[in-house]
Order: sequence, then C-alpha cells, then structure tokens
Amino acid sequence: MTSPSAPAEVCRARPLLGTRVEIRAAADWPAARLHAAADAAFEAIQRVQERMSFHDPASDVSLLNREALQRPVQVDGATYSVLAAALDLSRRSGGAFDVAVGTRLQLWGYLPGGEEPPDGEADWTAIRLLPDCRVRFERPLRIDLGGIAKGYAVDCAVASLLRDGVQSALVNAGGDMRAAGPAPRRIWLRHPDAPALGAHQLTLCDQALATSATYFSRRLHGGREVSPLLDPRSGRPCLDGASVSMLAPDCLHADALTKVVLFAAPVLRDRLLADCGAQALVQQASAVAA
Amino acid sequence: MTPSSRLLLLPFAAVAVCAPAHAMVYLSVEEAQKLMFGDQALTPLPLSLSPQQVAAVEKDAGVKFFPGSLRAWKGADGYFFVDAVIGKHDLITYAVALGQDGKVRQVEILEYREAYGGDVRNPRWRKQFTGKQHGDPLHLGEDIQGISGATLSCEHVTDGIRRLLSVYDIAIRPR
Repeated sequence: MTSPSAPAEVCRARPLLGTRVEIRAAADWPAARLHAAADAAFEAIQRVQERMSFHDPASDVSLLNREALQRPVQVDGATYSVLAAALDLSRRSGGAFDVAVGTRLQLWGYLPGGEEPPDGEADWTAIRLLPDCRVRFERPLRIDLGGIAKGYAVDCAVASLLRDGVQSALVNAGGDMRAAGPAPRRIWLRHPDAPALGAHQLTLCDQALATSATYFSRRLHGGREVSPLLDPRSGRPCLDGASVSMLAPDCLHADALTKVVLFAAPVLRDRLLADCGAQALVQQASAVAA
Repeated sequence: MTPSSRLLLLPFAAVAVCAPAHAMVYLSVEEAQKLMFGDQALTPLPLSLSPQQVAAVEKDAGVKFFPGSLRAWKGADGYFFVDAVIGKHDLITYAVALGQDGKVRQVEILEYREAYGGDVRNPRWRKQFTGKQHGDPLHLGEDIQGISGATLSCEHVTDGIRRLLSVYDIAIRPR
C-alpha cells in the first residue's frame, strides 16, 4: 500500500462468463476477510452464469429456448428480472436492443448448436412475461442474454461486496465493470485500431462502464465478415471499427446500452440514455483501418 | 454516429497514449494454496506420464498436452494444480483445487499476461510500435486499475481445465 491510511486491497481473478472476471475489494480488514468477501462475490457471478448461460444446457436460458414455445416456463427470479429489463430496453429503443438474436449468433458460430433454425423466427415482441416468474414465447425464437447478463452479474457481485461491508470495490468482467465506494478508479479505454494499446483514460467513481467493439470477434462466415454485434432488426452484423463505451449508474444498463448506441435512431437513443442517466463515449476507427 | 449531449465522440488518439497490454499477478502459488487448502500440508505429486498416457489425455480432452507445464500437489482432502495456457491474445497461469471426488472445487487465475501488439489488425498502426513488439508486457500503471474494451474470451482456460481433469482421471485418480 502506498500510504499507511489506505485500506488493504485484494485483487483476484477467475475465469467466468467466458472471460476473465477481476474483483478488487478494499477495507480495513485482515486479508482473509477480504478474500472471503471476494469469494462470495465470485459465487454471485457464478450463480448468474448458471442461470443465464446459453452454453449450459441446465440454465434457464436453455430451458426457455427448448420449451417456452410449447408451454409457460418458470424461471429463477433473477432471470425473470433480467428479461424484464431487456424487454423494457427493447421497447424504448425501437428494437435496437433485442435478446432474441440467439439463432443468428448460432448460425455465425458465436453460440453452440443451432443446426435447425426455427422457421419464421420472431423478435422480442413474441416474448411474454407471465405472473410467477413464468415466461412464454408466442412464436419461435431463441434468446441469448450475452448482451446484458454480464453487466447484471457485475452488479450482483458489487451488491455482494457492499453487503459484506467492503469500503470500495471494482468488479471487471472482461471490460464491463462497476466501481463502488469512495475510491476513484483509473481506467484505460482500449484503442479500437490497436486494442493492445490504450487511447483514453477516465476515472470511475460509483459508476459502471461497459464497452462494445468488434476488434477481437470479427470472423468470416460463408465468405463474408460477421461479428457478434448485430442489428436485431436487419440481422446485419456491425462491422464498423468503432468502439462504444457507456457510463451508467449500473452495469446492466451500461452493458445493454452500448448496443442501443450502435443501432438505435438518434432521437430514441438520446432519450433512453438521458432516462437511464447514461453517457456514451464513442471512439471512431481511423480512416486507415483495414 | 451523431454526437449529442449524451453521445460524446472522443478525439481520435493518433498515437496511443500508453500501452494497456499488461501483466497482472493476482496470487502467488503459495497464496493460492493457502486460499484453497488453508493450513493443510500439500505434498508435491510428481507427474510422470507415459507417452501412451499423454496420447490418451490429448484424445480425451481434445487439446495438446505438454507434460511439464502442469504441476500437482496432494492435500488431505484434495488436489492442487497449477497450469498455464496460451490463448490468441494472452497467457494465463491458473490454479485448480479438486476435491477427493475429483470434482473442481475452485479455480483462480494466478497470473495474466496480455500479448503485446500480438493481434493489432492494422499494419500501419503496427508499424508505429515496432521495436516494442518483443518487449516484456508492460505492467498496468500504479494508478491504473482496469481496462475497458471488447471482451477477450477465456475459452483456453476452459480447455486447460478439461485437460487437467483428463490428466487426473488417467494418471492420478486412485483406483
């Protein structure tokens, strides 16, 4: 520690949510107690993963994709509330954010399976939230919560750390992060043309930050380039080299709103961002980008 | 994208301000052992796999296995492993605790090293940094605590854990 008054901090990382999740927790505690708080926060993230992973056949998401067209399916309260938040953002963004993109992500190889895409696939408007945490799909579709659940998981980890009484914390799930407590956190934004390098620095204080960009994930599918960021209405992948970062009060919204900025009409976008207390930071790719 | 009060176009950083490509040490091997096994004594477990066993591990796990990268210890109520995996952009050293039943109890990343300039797409950009390409990964500055950007996958750790479980099953598990 740099000064005797600074509280002790532990910094840990685990492979979760398909990426490296880093937790920093600080308090005037013995290290063992800080480690225990970090353990509990990782477990909160693990629970979100178990419920909302597309990859796990036992998750709520997999159960919904298998059965919600045939019958109302009861899911965990956390899954239900993430779905409710997702549908709210779909409505307010004119469909620029949509979790019903699972089939296309399977087709492009970003998600497993998907040999038989459902006929006449529907969008978010076919998802019905029923009482008692039950969900029904009115038309064939497959959901993927990859664009929102990572942010939610970060929020759950932060809540766990604050419940345990840590003074300050930073939870970072592969670039989607949230800072809590009085300590300001200095953060780099990757350069969209040269992601191994940093382009801008900013300071987070009791705020969340998430970034969407395609520089690590673009690939060829059937001779054309695709990316896991796609306009849900046209089905077209985002191949713009830009990087969209979002500052928001919580990470669920920071995560999801990056997609809104990429695809929503400017009027809807600005109203939604204002309603959510969010601010977008856009780095455009240089003209020389390949 | 149309700028507005809610959407700020950041000025183009002509030359990157600094390198976030970084190395992080989260836990030493000893710290991870203590975290996972408390004060239990851990005895190093020499792994000497026959070529047939190595081939069986690779077949079972579906990934290459270079014995020597994996270290193992035995405790009173389980096993402790340290392994390293190389991904497209990074090298990760991680520790795994297995219970007596061979089930994964805990996984911790010990060390993370991002490949510096390893996957910069644009040749013109890359040229600006030649000479730094082969340097050691830079450490995150004292006061920098995170990097935000597109998500880097950690799938190679999943592959590594699958391989480690194969090694356990083929060469360690008591029969």
